[in-house]
Amino acid sequence: MDGRVEGRVEGSGEVTVMVVDDHPMWREAVARDLAQGGYRVVATAADGREALTRAAATRPRVVVLDLQIPPPDGVEVTAGLVAADPTVRVLVLSASGEQADVLEAVKAGATGYLVKSASREELLAAVGRVATGDAVFTAGLAGLVLGEYRRLSDAPAASSGADTPRLTERETEVLRLVATGLSYRQIAERLVLSHRTVQNHVQNTLRKLQLHNRVQLVRYAIERGLDQE
Amino acid sequence: MPRRTQGPLGLVDPVAAQMQTTLFRALAVLRVVVAAYAVVLDVSRWRDFERPLLGWVVVGVVVTWTLVAGWAYDAPRRRTTTLLVLDLAVTAGTLLATPWVEGEAMLARHAATLPSFWVVAAVLAWAIARGWPGGVGVAVVVSALDLSARTHPTGTTWGNIFLLLLAGGVVGYSAGLVAEASEARAEAERVAAALAERARLARAVHDGVLQVLALVQRRGAEAGGEAAELGRLAGEQETALRALVQGASATAGAVPLPAGEDLTEALARLASERVTVSGPAAPVRLPRRAVDELTAAVRACLDNVSRHAGAQARAWVLVEGGAESVAVTVRDDGPGIAPGRLEAAVAEGRMGVDGSIRGRLADLGGAARLVTAPGEGTEWRLVVPARQGRGRAREAPTGSGSRGRRPPSA
Repeated sequence: MDGRVEGRVEGSGEVTVMVVDDHPMWREAVARDLAQGGYRVVATAADGREALTRAAATRPRVVVLDLQIPPPDGVEVTAGLVAADPTVRVLVLSASGEQADVLEAVKAGATGYLVKSASREELLAAVGRVATGDAVFTAGLAGLVLGEYRRLSDAPAASSGADTPRLTERETEVLRLVATGLSYRQIAERLVLSHRTVQNHVQNTLRKLQLHNRVQLVRYAIERGLDQE
Repeated sequence: MPRRTQGPLGLVDPVAAQMQTTLFRALAVLRVVVAAYAVVLDVSRWRDFERPLLGWVVVGVVVTWTLVAGWAYDAPRRRTTTLLVLDLAVTAGTLLATPWVEGEAMLARHAATLPSFWVVAAVLAWAIARGWPGGVGVAVVVSALDLSARTHPTGTTWGNIFLLLLAGGVVGYSAGLVAEASEARAEAERVAAALAERARLARAVHDGVLQVLALVQRRGAEAGGEAAELGRLAGEQETALRALVQGASATAGAVPLPAGEDLTEALARLASERVTVSGPAAPVRLPRRAVDELTAAVRACLDNVSRHAGAQARAWVLVEGGAESVAVTVRDDGPGIAPGRLEAAVAEGRMGVDGSIRGRLADLGGAARLVTAPGEGTEWRLVVPARQGRGRAREAPTGSGSRGRRPPSA
């Protein structure tokens, strides 16, 4: 798991955070940890509707989001948050391990994923990194993303167009190393790359997937004539 | 032949009983219709009867029994063999009374019997309750009685007898089919309900128990001391429970495909506090044998990890499924193995590597490759063909050496 790593990234000024979790005990524990860790928790929410309205009112920099919340669910909330403010960073913090959900949230725009069993330090580091625009990957998420690219490239030619995102050899290599538990630093050492380059490779894999997802949604909307109204 | 409904005592299945009730209600309506026909017919010709008074008594019996039978057959517990026999006996009585009432002259003109088509009701009752053998058997009995009332049967008589036999057989057979179909549907509904319940439990566990276990783990680790031990135990349980629940919710989503088992799901059961398992969101399906063998091979890899890299070493299992091949990578962050040490160990017969890992993979038409260096941990890469039973895996997704491995078809 790569979340426990490379220390706090310096936030330029105070980083504002919103915590979304329907479990009151968890919500408070996470909010308290974040506050003690030097972040400013501007809002908490117990369900999807609250999350969207409170995010609009408080404009947090980072949203720490549980996927299993009363509707709208975590995936819809991610899409809604990113649509309303493309600069917001969504860190999925889920006990679920519901693979499909995590992948959907990432495709909808989340840039980080952490399981709830991650330690306090891992959480604080992850929020800091997500806030500066880095992607926070666990081995689990890397496996999911690799699988998604594989699915897209294996899909019949009819359904995959020229715009189907593909991984470069280097990106595949990096993702596979993340998926087998290496930290960015270890990957950088092994592949003789800079830490930043590894980071960029990982980020690119997400960016391409998210872009593809948006294109697909727009295409779907046009096909259905939803752009008419 | 479909014959599931075995009389009142054999009727354990309330669904089949319910189905029979519906059929018997339809029969009750039919019984009224054919009774009305018999009454109208007999009223129109009562002057020709040799014994009109007895004729009225028989008509009265037909009407009365129509009402009694309609009520009696309506409840499953009253649908006894006695009732069926009584039904047949009443029908037989009306047929046997016919020669007495109608007299030689009428019968010579091939006039209809007193109950006329009403006799079909008893045949159908037997057919519904006892399947086609019951229907045909009683049709034979009724036909014999009908023939006994006639001086000389004509083509019409034989035609009616044929239709009666046909009705008994067809209705009996269909009643059996209907009972079977409704049982099958009830079974499917039960299975769906059970799966939905499992999914609901899985969600409840997700939302509650897993959260608390994760919280205990986290707080325990922070508190240290004895609490840390509690936290560690909670963490182990959380991982195990999550793997279990994931399996349950996956099955609940859809009836498992016959195409094989999900390798990722099988390997997820090996996950623990120190072992992370990841893979694609979609199932990676392989035949059951392949999944079992691969799981055993991965378990052997993990055993090697705890034996040689120490109990504290962490391990990661990655599943990649492609159109051509399926690959499983098992890596640990232990000290690694010095070159030659593995070979030496194999030569000494100390490591089960060849048998439990390479051997299993070879059986599946695949290959196992070990990449290791001191300080870099060990990494097993197991590759099998995606379509089992079609030759060896092309070793596409594997490169050589711990640096510069080549990705598949990127």
